Formats: sequence, structure tokens, C-alpha cells
Amino acid sequence: MRNSRYLLYLILFLILLTLPLYTGVYFLNVMDIILIYMALALSWDMLLRSGQISFGMAGLFGVGGYAAALLHLHTGMNPIVSIALGGGVAGALAWIIGSAVLQLRGMYFAIVTLALAEIFRVIVRNLPDLTGGPEGTVLPSAIFAGDSTRTYFLVLSVAVASVLASEIFQRTRIHFALTSIRNDEIVAKSSGIDVFKYLVFIFVVTSAIQGVVGGAYAHIYGFVSPEGSFSVDFTLLPIAMALLGGMHSTWGPVVGAVVLGVVSEFLKLQIPYGHLMVYGLIIVVAILFFPQGIVGTLGQKMKKTGSQ
Amino acid sequence: MSLISKLKQSNYQIVMVTAVLVVILAFWKPHVLIEGVQRACLYAVIALPMALILGIVGIINLAHGAYMMLGAYFAYWLNVYTGMDPLLAILPALAAFFLIGIASYRAIIKHVLGTPELNQLLLTFGLAMVLEQLANLMWTSRPIKLPLQYVSSSATIGSFTFGTYEFVYVGAAILMLVGLQLFLKRTDLGQAAMAVGQNPRGARLVGIHVDRTYLLIFSLSIALIGALGAIFMTRHSIFPLVGGAFTMKSFCLIAMAGIGNLMGILWCSLILGLAENFVLSFRGYAGWADILFFALIVGVIIVRSRQRQVK
Amino acid sequence: MAILRTEKLARHFGGLVALSGVSMEFRENEILGIIGPNGAGKTTFINVIAGIYLPTEGKIFFEGRDVSEMPAHRKCRLGIGRTFQLVRPLPGLSLVENVMVGSLFGKGLAKKEARRKAEELCGFLGLADLSRDISRMTALEIKKMEIARALAAQPKLLFLDEVMAGLNSDETQEMINTVRKIHKQGIAIGIVEHIMRVIRELTDRCVVLDWGEVIAEGPYEKVSADPMVIKAYLGEEA
Repeated sequence: MRNSRYLLYLILFLILLTLPLYTGVYFLNVMDIILIYMALALSWDMLLRSGQISFGMAGLFGVGGYAAALLHLHTGMNPIVSIALGGGVAGALAWIIGSAVLQLRGMYFAIVTLALAEIFRVIVRNLPDLTGGPEGTVLPSAIFAGDSTRTYFLVLSVAVASVLASEIFQRTRIHFALTSIRNDEIVAKSSGIDVFKYLVFIFVVTSAIQGVVGGAYAHIYGFVSPEGSFSVDFTLLPIAMALLGGMHSTWGPVVGAVVLGVVSEFLKLQIPYGHLMVYGLIIVVAILFFPQGIVGTLGQKMKKTGSQ
Repeated sequence: MSLISKLKQSNYQIVMVTAVLVVILAFWKPHVLIEGVQRACLYAVIALPMALILGIVGIINLAHGAYMMLGAYFAYWLNVYTGMDPLLAILPALAAFFLIGIASYRAIIKHVLGTPELNQLLLTFGLAMVLEQLANLMWTSRPIKLPLQYVSSSATIGSFTFGTYEFVYVGAAILMLVGLQLFLKRTDLGQAAMAVGQNPRGARLVGIHVDRTYLLIFSLSIALIGALGAIFMTRHSIFPLVGGAFTMKSFCLIAMAGIGNLMGILWCSLILGLAENFVLSFRGYAGWADILFFALIVGVIIVRSRQRQVK
Repeated sequence: MAILRTEKLARHFGGLVALSGVSMEFRENEILGIIGPNGAGKTTFINVIAGIYLPTEGKIFFEGRDVSEMPAHRKCRLGIGRTFQLVRPLPGLSLVENVMVGSLFGKGLAKKEARRKAEELCGFLGLADLSRDISRMTALEIKKMEIARALAAQPKLLFLDEVMAGLNSDETQEMINTVRKIHKQGIAIGIVEHIMRVIRELTDRCVVLDWGEVIAEGPYEKVSADPMVIKAYLGEEA
């Protein structure tokens, strides 16, 4: 039984790997967007498993983007290295902020993260010499000179890395720590778990992922700006995707990203202003009626039929 | 007993800090003092309804600023279709948003009241997004401002000029604070609300209709914030995302003052308003004013968590 | 030699004095009863020792070392374990996974080792069908699982907080035997109970708390005859 599942994963992976052979540029670009949001949705869910919500994805995504773009621009370093460092910068910031704020969790942490995008936007706007100010900065060229196949492989590797990270969080002792912390901190503490240290660790790791994704995005589009790089899209969509697909799992955010990624392509054309409302509605409806999401609800239905 | 004295003590500290700031500014930069007080009252008057919901209904409403934004657009829409001055629109806004509050509570908020904080945060976040995008859909993201004459009224004392219209915020803040205190202490509903806020189960046991209390308090809060939107519309340009910053700053103020401490919100608003305007008065650094609330809330969290170490 | 010693341990919650000036000693390998009327501060005492609350005043020494300010997770790793008066199973994890939390983090074992140890402990306590979800367990089984979870961290001192509550006569006897089995492994045990039969049969010594203070101390026979104890608290005979 296990073997057939791994076979399925392998086939999927091979399909994804060979996509550029039989699809065109437009399709690959759509895949890029789906994979970027998938990585963000996964990283959001990974923190959620500890019981904490971050609304700061746009902020860390943008920080990673700016770091990667500016490092490349001012020091000429290899774009890939700059993307990795973008993740490092985001992780470092998360470490500082998390260490300060994670002593008080819940809504205090959540609202501080909500403010992150705004704060970073203000900082970026006020250091025009470094960051290009309100107009942003254009990079001399997009990464790989805009070659869509190599861009796709870059994004694919980031997404695969996120999936792997998520699975590691699900299958190792980290899963036990996360589940304990989320459900009952006192039991967690009494069983030897250093709750604060774990939470900071998870926040740093997930923020680093968001920074890497942001760095990749910046290089792919060759452009960073206060409005674009810190857009609320990067917080709203991943949350909607994770909730739609099902939280506390790897498959949930993946499925949610694919579904909503495809849907968003249509929506952008039909309703140019305000299509984001759909994602807000999805979040509201999911919390009210389907806290388990698609994957979770299906999983429960399968368990029920299985026991009959 | 010692709980009350501790509360008085923390208020006392906040009052001392603000008093010192006020005195310094009065001599050094009177501009900052006056505009800071005006701005502070704007923040206070927006934060108070949020504090009411958080303290009594127990839910954090991330859509708070979005409702205010809708109030502003409501006043704009009334002005476009009937020529009504936004300040007069306060009355219809109160009524309309009271109804909107009832609808929101019944359809959405009620269902997450017993659930984990996580769900409430996500739900109200989603709601905020829906409301913001609704405004985006109906009016696009282009900033809108009404050309009203009276908002540019100003006065001159000695060598400096300052805007006088903004004192409407000061008036609103005083009105709201006094009104809320009277409401909570002197009316049946207000007393019921306080009981429910402290101990919902106990309140239910003595016969207080808890759900109806939640409904009324929530709707009252939304009505107030909608009306505030109308006032806000007169002086500022509005756009769909305008409410977001106010949601965050309101929460910052509530966190600083402590949940349930309505008076404290006024003092903390003064600190924030004065500090922001102080930074704004330095030409080269004006852009950094918007970071202050963040520094404040992180500071508050660090201090609080030190206190909580004696868990 | 004392494995645990408290010196004038006090814990205030605002105006409420839950513990005041508790000085006592836990001798190596003994079973110590902690008794007293409801609200006497027994659970608070455990919570302070286990690190869930910091002491307002006073000190705690574990194996000679000052651990008064040590956080709960480090105390667990040091060898202080406890169960909860109202059981706290972790939803989302199965029976054996619940126990594994103790061996993974309290003892720091690798996942395979941790699972083996958890399975072993479940067997030791008479728990079967280990991959069951915790929603399908009886009250007695959940209590046993909590004990297993605490044991998985390999404590040197284990506090059992009203672990017999709600058990019938047979189950109580089974639990008494279990506690003896645990004690034979060399673990000192602190047992908070209201059921005097259990205290009489199991404990070497008792400490009696009332209003946050120690009012009597000694073997059960001496303590149960103490007029102050009788005045403060009449226990149940099971």
C-alpha cells in the first residue's frame, strides 16, 4: 500500500519535471505562480500547526525579494546565491521579531505579523538611496534572461523544497512537538518541550522559506517595489489556499494552491478590480463551515466509509 | 484590593509620561502638541469601539478598520447622490451601520464566539479582505476626497498657525469616552454588558440574555465606527485599504492600555499621537512616523512578557 | 538524603495566597502522601515544583540543586514528572503517540527508541491497542496513559495528582498495585489523594496542607490521629 503511494508521488514528480517538454510559455508561467503560492501556503500551514497564525507573509516575502534584488544589484553576486541570502535575511528578521514577540502568543503575535508588511514597506520607502524609494528598483535583467524553462525549474525546486520541509515537519519528532504545543502547552512543557524555542525555530524556518520565494519572485520579474513586493495578495492567497485544501497537512496547501491558482487566472480576467474578494470569502466560508478543507473533509469521509 | 491599586498605578504611570511629554512640547514645538492631540483623539475614538468589542464580546475584530472605511464610503455615496454633508451623514450612518452590525453578528461573528482565537483571527481577517475588496469593486482603488471648505479652517496664535477643524476629533473622543462610561455604569444594558464581559456564564445564570447583549454591543460598536467613517471622510482622502492601519494602531493602543481599560486608551493615544507628530515635524524623517506604533507594541509585548514571567 | 527540599515556598496569585511558607522534604525513594482539604494548595504545590508557576517566595532544591526558577521543560528533563488532576490527553495523537511525547522530549530519545520505550511502558501499565485514537479510551485508560507519558521521560520523582479520583474499588486496587510497581523501579512518588485508604496503604509518610501551610507531617497513623488534621479535614474511607 505504501509502495503504490510512493509510485504515485514519483509519477507526479516526473510529470512536473518534464512539463517544459510538452507545454508552452504561458502554461509554465501559470505553473510558476501556482508553485510560488504553493510554497507560501505550505510555509503558512507549517507555522499554523504550532497553533500560531502569521499574517506577515507579504512582509517576509517582500523582504526576501528586496534583499535578493539589492544584493545582486549592489554586489553583482550570483542571483541564485542572492535568493538564498534573501531567505537568510527574512529568517534573521524573523528570529529577532519572534524572540521579542513569541513570549505572548495568539493575537499579539498575529497582529504584530499583520503589521510587518506595512512596516517593511515604510522602511523601504524611506531609504531611497538603497532601495529606490517609492518607485522601487528594476533589475538589469530577469534571472536566466527570462528563459521560462529554467525559471520554471527554479520555482519547482523551491516548491519541492517546501513540500519536503513540510513533510519533515509531519514525520519527525517535530510533528509531536507541534501537535503538543498547539493543543496543550502545559502538557508540552511538562513533557520536556521548550515551547518558546520551538516556536521561534518554526517561525524562522517558515519565514526563511517565504524570503526565498520572495527572492525568486523578484528575480523572475526583475523588479521590486513597495506596493508590488509587499502586496496583500501574498498573505491573502496562501491562507485561502491552505484553508481550502485543508490545514495541518502537506496535501491540503498543495491541493488548495493548484485549485485556487487555476481559478485566479480566470478571475483576474473577469473581475480585474476586487477579484481578491473571492479569497476573503473562501476564508470566511472555510472557517464557518469547512474548517477541515477539501482534503480534510475527504479524508474524514474516507475514514467513515472505511470503517463501514 | 491590590488589583485595583495596580491598575491605578499603571494608569498613573501612563498619565505621568504623557504629562511630561505635553509640557516639553508646549514649549519646544507647540505645533506638534496641538496636532498631536488632534491625531491622538482620532486614534482614541477609533480604538474605543474595538476595545468595547474585545472587552465585552471577547472577540478581536480585524475587520474594524474596514467597517470604518465602509462608513466613509457610505458618507461619500450619500454626498454624491443627495448632496448631504458627511457630517450630517453621521445619523444615517449610525442607523445603517447598526443594522450592518446586526447582520454581521448574526451571519458571521456569532458562529465563532466559542471557538479558538485562531478561528476568530482568520475569520475577521477574511471578512476584512471581503469588505476591502467590495469597496475596491464598487469604487476602485483610486483615492477619493471631498472638496469641503470648512475642513481647512485654521487659527493663528502668535507665530504659528494650526488647523481648527481637527478639534472635531477631540470633541468626538471626549463625547465617546464620557458616553461610554455613562452607558456602562448607568444603564441596564451597560451593566449587563460589563457583567457579561467579566463572566459570561455567571451572567447567564443570573438571567442576563448573553447573546442579545453581544448582539447589541457589537452592533453599537459597528454603528459608532461607521459614523466615525463619515467624520473621517470629511478631512481625509479615502481608499479601500485606508482602514488597515487604524485596525493595527487601535490594537496597539488596546494592548498598551490593557484590555478593559477605556481611560487608558486615551492616554496611550496621546503618547502615540504626540510621538508620531513629533517625528513628523522633522522634515527629513517624516516618513518614519508610521513605524512608531510597531515599536510601541513590540515594546509593550516585551514588557508584558517580562511581567508574566512570574506566571 | 532528600531528593527534593522546599524552603518557605510561597505562591501568591494577586491577593490570593495559595501557598505560604511550605518547608518540607522528600526523602529518596519514598512514597509521600500530600493530603489536605479542597483548596489547601496541593495542586498549586505540584505546579510550583514542576515549574508551571514560579514561586513568589522561597526555594526548591532538587538533588541538592536550586531549581526554584527553572522552567518546566528543564525540570522535566532533570527528572521531575507529574500527572494532572483533570486529565489532559493530547488530541490528534494516538495512545502510544501521546506517551511518546514524554520519551521524545523528556528523555530525548530518537523516534524509534522513543516508540519502543512508549510501547514498553504501555505494556507495563496494562494498556493495549496502542494505535487507538484517544477519543476511544476509558477514563482509567486515559489516566494510565498520562502516567505512562510521565514515566516515559524517566523521572526520578513523580507526582500523581488525584489519580484515583473516579475509580471504582477494583480499579483503585489495580492503581494501587501499579503505583507500587512504579515505586519498585526506584522512582520516588508524591501522591495527592482524598481517598484515605490509598494513603494508608501506599505511603511511607504524609504531609498535610491546609490554607497553603503544612499543618502536620509524619506516617499516616500519626497524622490521621492529629487533632488539627481531623479538625481541618475529614478524609473519605474508600
